[in-house]
Amino acid sequence: MKPAWVTRGALPAAVILLVALVILSLGAGDLHLGLARIWAGLVRRDELAATILWQVRLPRVCVAMLIGGALGASGLVMQAYFRNSLASPGLLGVSSGGAAGAVVAIGAGWASLSLWVLPTAATIGAFVATGAVIGLARRGASTERLLLAGVALNAMLGAVVSYVLSNFTITYERNAQIIFWLLGGLEDRTWEHAAMAVAVLPCAALLWPLGRPMDLLSLGAAEAQSLGVDVRTLRRRLLVLSTVMTALATAVGGTVGFVGLVVPHVLRLLVGPEHRRLVPLSLVGGAAFVLACDLIGRAAGGLRLGIVTALVGGPYFLWLLRRQA
Amino acid sequence: MAAATTGVSALEIEHASVPGRLHDVSLRLEPGQLVALVGPNGSGKSTLLQVAAGLLAADGGRVAWAGRALKTVSFAERGQMAAWVPQEAVFEFGFSVRSVVGQGRFAHDDDDAGVDAVLNRLQLTALAHRPVNRLSGGERHRVLIGRALATEAKLQLWDEPLAALDVRHALEVLRLAHELKHAGHTVLMSLHDLRQAHAFDRVIVLQDGRLQAFGPPAEVLTPERLRDVFGVKARIAPGLSIELP
Repeated sequence: MKPAWVTRGALPAAVILLVALVILSLGAGDLHLGLARIWAGLVRRDELAATILWQVRLPRVCVAMLIGGALGASGLVMQAYFRNSLASPGLLGVSSGGAAGAVVAIGAGWASLSLWVLPTAATIGAFVATGAVIGLARRGASTERLLLAGVALNAMLGAVVSYVLSNFTITYERNAQIIFWLLGGLEDRTWEHAAMAVAVLPCAALLWPLGRPMDLLSLGAAEAQSLGVDVRTLRRRLLVLSTVMTALATAVGGTVGFVGLVVPHVLRLLVGPEHRRLVPLSLVGGAAFVLACDLIGRAAGGLRLGIVTALVGGPYFLWLLRRQA
Repeated sequence: MAAATTGVSALEIEHASVPGRLHDVSLRLEPGQLVALVGPNGSGKSTLLQVAAGLLAADGGRVAWAGRALKTVSFAERGQMAAWVPQEAVFEFGFSVRSVVGQGRFAHDDDDAGVDAVLNRLQLTALAHRPVNRLSGGERHRVLIGRALATEAKLQLWDEPLAALDVRHALEVLRLAHELKHAGHTVLMSLHDLRQAHAFDRVIVLQDGRLQAFGPPAEVLTPERLRDVFGVKARIAPGLSIELP
């Protein structure tokens, strides 16, 4: 049992941390902006600061928060759904599904047709991957089975990406676009990208009230049903929400790994397993984690987001595996 | 043996079949009955309990609780009317004992009523704040029984609740079942110890997914049937007798 001040104070603390990180992110860059100048820029009293903030830094911060919240919450949902604290969009191949869908769309040249093609293609790819995972690893599957299914799926979807890269060599430009996109990053993110991912917010709102039934589901589907949960409906909702959120995050940021694994896990260690707390916390915490990783990457001279999250999350994951063994 | 012959049955199962596991089982339990479900391994006891709990759909059959066809009972009402205790007590996440028992109140708008009394009744108060995934197998089972109890459901379906328990806690749970019965609940539990089944109101004998016998223990647990179904020789003999002080 965690002390009450930890469990109750966690969400306000996470929000404060997120706000601080937002301010840091807005200030940091080639031209450093202090608090006063950030304010002046936001209200457009300072021309230069306004241009930097509204054209470059603010969209980037918004995209980072949407990606982080989406991946953090997706990971939490998948862990409850599969009753396995090692499940996450990256390890299960859902992110790769989104990536494969997006790469096909870029490679075929559809992505330039409309703003909505990329997120739609990513969503379709992610749903294909989710369907495959559910087929391969039954609910409550052992960690080994789940992760092996993810390995197989990641490999197959990786092959799709390689095929597109090797086949659509018609234009050098498209290839470059795919590679740039695949690396996962927040460079040159515009308000268009934020608009693509804004559907994360209604998903989060729909997820919000599902925390309590998720508690029961995470301890067993049959048990949850006997206690009065409409398990079939709950599962369908959770699956759709987590898949869509992962797909949207992937569509705007490429594959960003380990967020969905690390964030819910750390939060569970901090405040315990109650999902009513974990749902809002993983949204806010995920956003803060991605912002922090982006700041680290920028401070390290332009390391891409996906590289930083992998460098932070990978060792954490290995440590977890070792501890579980 | 206070089986009411009139009025509605607590549990009614008609022609329930599950391919490969259960074959055309029909039975009817009355309110206030304590019923043992026995049979060799793989005879379909868990399947029958899941069908009774509405967790497994039976082919073409019908299940009714308190006279209401299960199809017409909403999910929330199901959580109030019947409780099911699974055979396996596995917890992936470290919820506290108290919060898992509190989940029994989910169908009652999480009102938390009676949770502390249940913890006390199952001697779990000292463990209330421990994470369930760090408990022993027997302790985890008591938590599950506690959660079932917290629902205050009239129909209690327990899948081998005694298997993981030490002798004292097993007797405590049996006593609890008797108390529930006297309070008007219907308790159906699967068992392996036929000697314990002898103290129940009714005994259901399953073999290869078929209902072999259903009735008072003296009529059902005859030496002939025990030999046919379980392959054991039964004999009434004085031996070590254990009960609660």
